[in-house]
Amino acid sequence: MPPRIPCRAHRAACPTPTAAVRCRTRLQQTRFASTSASAPEIYDVVCVGGGPAGLSLLAGLKASPTTCGLKVALIEGQDIQKNRLPKDASVVGFSNRCSSLTPASVRNLQEIGAWRHANASRIQPYQEMQVWDGVSDARISFDWDTARSLGPRKPTQPTTIAYMIENVNTVSALLGRLEELGGVDMFASTKVDAIELGTDTEQLDLSSWPVLSLSNGKSLAARLLVGADGANSPVRTFAGIASRGFDYSRHGVVATLDLSTAGWGGPDHKIAYQRFLPSGPIAMLPMPGNFATLVWSTTPERAATLKSLAPNDFAAMVNAGFRLSPADLEYLHTLPSGQAEEVAWREKHTPTNERGLPVRVTDVQAGSVASFPLRMRHADTYTGERVALVGDAAHTIHPLAGQGLNQGQGDAAALVRTISHAVQTGQDIGSTLALESYNEARYAENNAMLGVCDKLHRLYSVESGPIVGLRSLGLRAVDAMGPLKGFFMNRAAGGV
Amino acid sequence: MKPSNSLRAIRPIQRHLTAPSYRPTSARPVLRQAPLFASATTSASPIRFSSTASSPQKEHPKSTVDPTEVSHFNALASSWWDPVGPSRLLHLMNPLRHTFISRCRAASSSASPNTNLRYLDIGCGGGIFAESAARLAHTASVTAIDPTPEVLKIAEAHKRRDPTLAAPGKLTYINSSIEDLPQPQTPQEGYDIVSLFEVLEHVNAPGPFLEHIMPHVKPGGWLVLSTISRTWTSWLVTNVMAEDVLGIVPKGTHDWAKYVNETELRDWFQGKPGWGDLKTLGVMYVPGFGWKEVTGSEGWGNYFFAVRRAE
Ligand SMILES: Cc1cc2nc3c(=O)[nH]c(=O)nc-3n(C[C@H](O)[C@H](O)[C@H](O)COP(=O)(O)OP(=O)(O)OC[C@H]3O[C@@H](n4cnc5c(N)ncnc54)[C@H](O)[C@@H]3O)c2cc1C
Repeated sequence: MPPRIPCRAHRAACPTPTAAVRCRTRLQQTRFASTSASAPEIYDVVCVGGGPAGLSLLAGLKASPTTCGLKVALIEGQDIQKNRLPKDASVVGFSNRCSSLTPASVRNLQEIGAWRHANASRIQPYQEMQVWDGVSDARISFDWDTARSLGPRKPTQPTTIAYMIENVNTVSALLGRLEELGGVDMFASTKVDAIELGTDTEQLDLSSWPVLSLSNGKSLAARLLVGADGANSPVRTFAGIASRGFDYSRHGVVATLDLSTAGWGGPDHKIAYQRFLPSGPIAMLPMPGNFATLVWSTTPERAATLKSLAPNDFAAMVNAGFRLSPADLEYLHTLPSGQAEEVAWREKHTPTNERGLPVRVTDVQAGSVASFPLRMRHADTYTGERVALVGDAAHTIHPLAGQGLNQGQGDAAALVRTISHAVQTGQDIGSTLALESYNEARYAENNAMLGVCDKLHRLYSVESGPIVGLRSLGLRAVDAMGPLKGFFMNRAAGGV
Repeated sequence: MKPSNSLRAIRPIQRHLTAPSYRPTSARPVLRQAPLFASATTSASPIRFSSTASSPQKEHPKSTVDPTEVSHFNALASSWWDPVGPSRLLHLMNPLRHTFISRCRAASSSASPNTNLRYLDIGCGGGIFAESAARLAHTASVTAIDPTPEVLKIAEAHKRRDPTLAAPGKLTYINSSIEDLPQPQTPQEGYDIVSLFEVLEHVNAPGPFLEHIMPHVKPGGWLVLSTISRTWTSWLVTNVMAEDVLGIVPKGTHDWAKYVNETELRDWFQGKPGWGDLKTLGVMYVPGFGWKEVTGSEGWGNYFFAVRRAE
């Protein structure tokens, strides 16, 4: 997708003559449009993007006595209020965009006072994870009891691996907290039209300050401009920070599923399932009651097929995804319809241990089947002069570890710490020096997580040969070793 | 090149900016950090602290800045605020200065308020500390002085880049040495914090120099400084390593004999009635980790020193 912000905002020289011409044109337009809005209003922090990462950053800043005095603004293109989860929303009809929040992310949301604003009845903690190889059936199960090497679990030790929550619930909780804290100038349903560097006037030299022209005609100067504006980040484009990566030529198919029961562990011991298929992992994550959310990474063609199916055929395909062989699945994807009967027939001839599989899907919530392309992107750096990137603006990850949203939460918390230290020591919070510690704190960690997820994806795309044996061996070995499993679980849970 | 040690890694740079070559006192250009040669002590070995306050005098050499030095300086001055330029280590050290000051102020059971503090920064250079002090929530104003006009131009230009600092009365630069700065009429008109960072080691006669500064400290206020000990280690690191081996500093930049030991400062202030609460903090630059507190290193390396004027 082309950047939404014209290139004249680049700090670096315009790369091509054509671009330069475009720059000039846009500049004239803006001048014309904004002659009345003379001097920009000056802010300490301007955050573009009111997704989970941006809102978490703002709530963190406003919740801390050190940073609550900063003058901050939020710019969000969408209507924030319209997309909010109603307080009294009943526990049916879950959004198909859910995330698995790690205990570390939840702890941060608690610390900034946002967690209690979440609709708790729509959050599902889970205590066990079953992961297996679709080709060899080697399996690993994660729960805190088997992960401990020494003695039984103490009652104070955690049992929860992670929390399933709709993104809209996280966002609504953060908005609730921000409303309670106050002090953020919110520009919702407002687009950033352009970003350019300020000017050097007699009184002030704003030539290093990003100045944003908004669709409502306002103009804001930012001591620190935060790009929380998603994968196509206009702020990143403005800062001239390249983002590298590739497309997996895979799509993530998401859906909200109705299950026959609450699951094998009942309502108090919920289990997440992930099966690695050669086309990508299929995962079923528990939601409250008899609901679950699906994330099935697969080829764009198969994703298109799945989306076209009638609800009963779709449900049958999900059941098959956890039970039938890769060869059977391949055939089933070639049928335009009738999967329900076909799957029922094949299942009779496929021995399964139902206790190790998710309970059956009975239906799929109307309108909840959707897909999105999977990409891996990593910005070259998260900081520039008067610019910091958080969340998907900085990195986009393969969803197989469910870490995307958590990484953004980690970024926001780290940036709050960096800003807080800078305020305490009188640094200019937009200076590259002050921002260095943020980049140092997050870049390597996110890069490692991107690398692990990418390698897992590649490892499990192999259908035959020695790698299948080795990876099965690996899963079995890890499963047999409590301490090692504890280590992996800690990583997955966002611990140290 | 990244200096591999804490010690002189930064001072030579400042010095470089203002007095790149070392000359006999008579022909010396005005040092930004060494505005006073009030008493003409040019002792080459352990510093003799004058115990008698030097009379206010105006005969210290006026600027005779060598034009070639100025152009040399200008080339470097533009990089004063470059985060990866030659002043990087100074920038990195700056937050620690505030940590040290906060710690000193927190430790003193004082009736002095925690807001509306007034700072005087002596030898402010491009304004690294002065700007940061002016940004703090508790700061009423910062007066920053330096005898070198060129660095003050850099400081003034950089100040315009921050609307907070441009607020009237927040941050005032004065092109002056401490001797020329009018003394407060009454002690209460003094400053809450008087800072002297990386200056003392360039001064020929630290005693009389400090005597000039002390009246500017308000009763209950602090004089805070950082400098470097005159030890075998510092000699090796700054004179041998930095100049001869690594060559990151022009030869002759350092006058190791001028370094002041923490114990010397301590002894000197202990002899001053009405001054107390002495505090020190040894710091070290660890490549890859930045500036770190190292207990005991005040004995042989860079250190912060603070002393409080009795209320
Ligand atoms: C279709 C889709 C489905 C996904 N499904 C899942 C899933 O099931 N589970 C999961 O864990 N993750 C999923 N992800 C990833 C997850 O949504 C992201 O990791 C997460 O939302 C990132 O949060 P963020 O705050 O960084 O960015 P975003 O949530 O993308 O927020 C960016 C915000 O910036 C705003 N914005 C952008 N440009 C401008 C502008 N010029 N002016 C004003 N505002 C602007 C946008 O409106 C948006 O609200 C999905 C992503 C996509 C695209």
